[in-house]
Amino acid sequence: MKKEMLTGNTAAAWGVRLAEIDYIPAFPITPQTEIIETLSGWISEGAMDARFVTMDSEHSMVAAAGAASATGVRVFTATSSQGLMYGFEMLYTVAGWRVPLVMINVSRGLSSPITLGPDHNDILAARDSGFLQIHCENCQEVLDSVLMAYRLAEDERVLLPVFVNLDGFYLSFTREPVEIPDMDEVRRFLPSYKPEHAFFNANRPMAQGVAVLGGAYYSYFKYQMHLASQKALDVYKEICRDFEKEFGRKYDAIEEYRLEDAEYVLIMTNSFSTMGKAAVNRARDQGIKAGLLRLRLLRPFPEEDIRNAIREKKSVGVIDQNISVGKGGILYSEVAGCLYNEKQRPFLISFIGGLGGKDISPQEFEFIFGQLIKGAGAEKVESPHLLYTQEEWEEMQKLKEIAGKE
Amino acid sequence: MLKLRFHGRGGQGAKVASRITGTAAFLEGCHVQDFPLYGAERRGAPISAFTRISRGTIMERGVIPNPDITIVMDQTLLSDPQAEPLAGLKKNGVVFINTPDSPAQVKDEYNIDAQVVTLDITNIGLDMLGSPIISTLAGAVASRIVGIGEESLKNAVEKELSKIITDQKLIAKNIEAAIYCFRTLELLKIKTIQTTQRQDSVIRMPFEPAKISTPSINTTASSLLKRTGNWRLFKPFWDHDVCTKCMICVTRCPEGCISLNEQGFPVADYEHCKGCMICAEECPKKGIKAVRESGSDSVEVMGT
Ligand code: SF4
Ligand code: SF4
Repeated sequence: MKKEMLTGNTAAAWGVRLAEIDYIPAFPITPQTEIIETLSGWISEGAMDARFVTMDSEHSMVAAAGAASATGVRVFTATSSQGLMYGFEMLYTVAGWRVPLVMINVSRGLSSPITLGPDHNDILAARDSGFLQIHCENCQEVLDSVLMAYRLAEDERVLLPVFVNLDGFYLSFTREPVEIPDMDEVRRFLPSYKPEHAFFNANRPMAQGVAVLGGAYYSYFKYQMHLASQKALDVYKEICRDFEKEFGRKYDAIEEYRLEDAEYVLIMTNSFSTMGKAAVNRARDQGIKAGLLRLRLLRPFPEEDIRNAIREKKSVGVIDQNISVGKGGILYSEVAGCLYNEKQRPFLISFIGGLGGKDISPQEFEFIFGQLIKGAGAEKVESPHLLYTQEEWEEMQKLKEIAGKE
Repeated sequence: MLKLRFHGRGGQGAKVASRITGTAAFLEGCHVQDFPLYGAERRGAPISAFTRISRGTIMERGVIPNPDITIVMDQTLLSDPQAEPLAGLKKNGVVFINTPDSPAQVKDEYNIDAQVVTLDITNIGLDMLGSPIISTLAGAVASRIVGIGEESLKNAVEKELSKIITDQKLIAKNIEAAIYCFRTLELLKIKTIQTTQRQDSVIRMPFEPAKISTPSINTTASSLLKRTGNWRLFKPFWDHDVCTKCMICVTRCPEGCISLNEQGFPVADYEHCKGCMICAEECPKKGIKAVRESGSDSVEVMGT
């Protein structure tokens, strides 16, 4: 074990290196490029024994990843934002093949307008594809999650592809100390892949564009994916226990931060949760019983864990770093949905923040806690509430003036 | 309500047949619903189409699992496990089969309980229209079985064909052929029975491991194992005396089933040739003849 300063991207690359990948089809896109650059460098130096192929697009990249995975080798690939969109058609296809590849998405806001800053509309658009989703808060978690993702994907009870998500810039290009486990430790936790579901074989030509004419067949295959994804929740928890035993770091489907006696709770995901935790600490200093719940596993959605963690809280603010235009926050709906049948449930408020990487300032977190305290029992709450400051509004006025519009 | 299901092969006109029947019934003042169902849009592949005819509002949609009347436009479909044209046919329903055989022969051969009506509409099509596209003829047969008037059928053929072809002479010929088929069949008595709901219960689907629950279980191999040779009405026959080995037929075959023999002449893999005759159409030397398939021996030769 050694400890080094790593960016989120190089931490991801280390995870891939330690997982002893066989094949990487790649296509660069900011802010993900550093991952595959690092990997291709290692492969050319001989530090990694894998085949690396640059593809003509993300669409081909995901197709190649799925096909290779179906032959029984360990496959990795990565993308971001518009690239993910471009490969989107194939996400459903390869997930339907039930191939255990791992794909990193470095979250970045979707056009238009073009931005390089992160939000999660890209990865959440893929939430129904059949890929499982692990979302990371820090660079250590990125490395660890890649290792866990292979264990999860390759488990016979699951056999679904897995996304590991990390925020662009806030993690991808941010360096922090990361423990790099030794190879033999990793091999104990993640033995080499013994495929039982390798159905692609050069000696036996077959078409994989499997057609089923009839909704009953189709429903069966789709619903089995759903059941496998649900199974993945228990499998994931087993993996977390094994991981903790081997490496001492504890993960779960959700992370509970100062939640035990909390009355007012933030629900967040990904790297902005760090700022959320700081806000919780500040609120605690002021005597507010604040806490935070971070969603780490988004598919399968750990409903039971979420219910148990917030059932009796006074009020909960879901901060969505995404916007479902015409509806609001995606996670808000999901959290609200899983509480519906609870007799005792907290007051829920929806906030949209951090779109396109817009910061969430301490004042904005203060505002949220103010709303949460006021909100419990309030009659009408604006939903969702966009987190936007006066200063930002004034900046926006300036831009409009420059553009010649009042 | 009367429910009809048409079974044909892509290109034969099952969809148009169901529409002609639908329009004819519509012109008789009925409520009607018609629609086709196909998989890969591929010439020769089994397809089906559906028509619902009612005096009142139709409160159903989708495929018809238990038709009152089944129209089988291609006899080879009876032995195609993907098509299953006889599935769900009601006991006192009617099945029409496009064949030169008599109803008694067919009933016996395929073990059919229902009333059977037969007519060789492919031959009528070849005689009267010069092609094996038998949409109007199947529509006429269906209309007759349903009990639709001749005038409505005539107007329906005209209306539906005008949407897809402009050749007025051909439309007139189709009307003529349709009426011929219509008059050849005797008027039948069909008992329509109100739909009885199938007895079935809703289950909770259990989790099954990926080894048996992924679509790959449905893929045994590539098209090598899927023979399409039984789809044929005609098969291509090469005249190597006029062939210049230009290879045009080889490249145009949608099934990729033409290869070259040792002398460099094209030969077909008849296990996979579906008889679309694109090769014959494309040959600049007209060196490929269409040979009518009839059972085991292919005899009649059509000029191309
Ligand atoms: S050989 Fe000719 S008739 Fe047969 S499938 Fe090919 S093109 Fe069609
Ligand atoms: S297209 Fe006609 S001439 Fe050309 S190779 Fe085929 S059969 Fe021969």
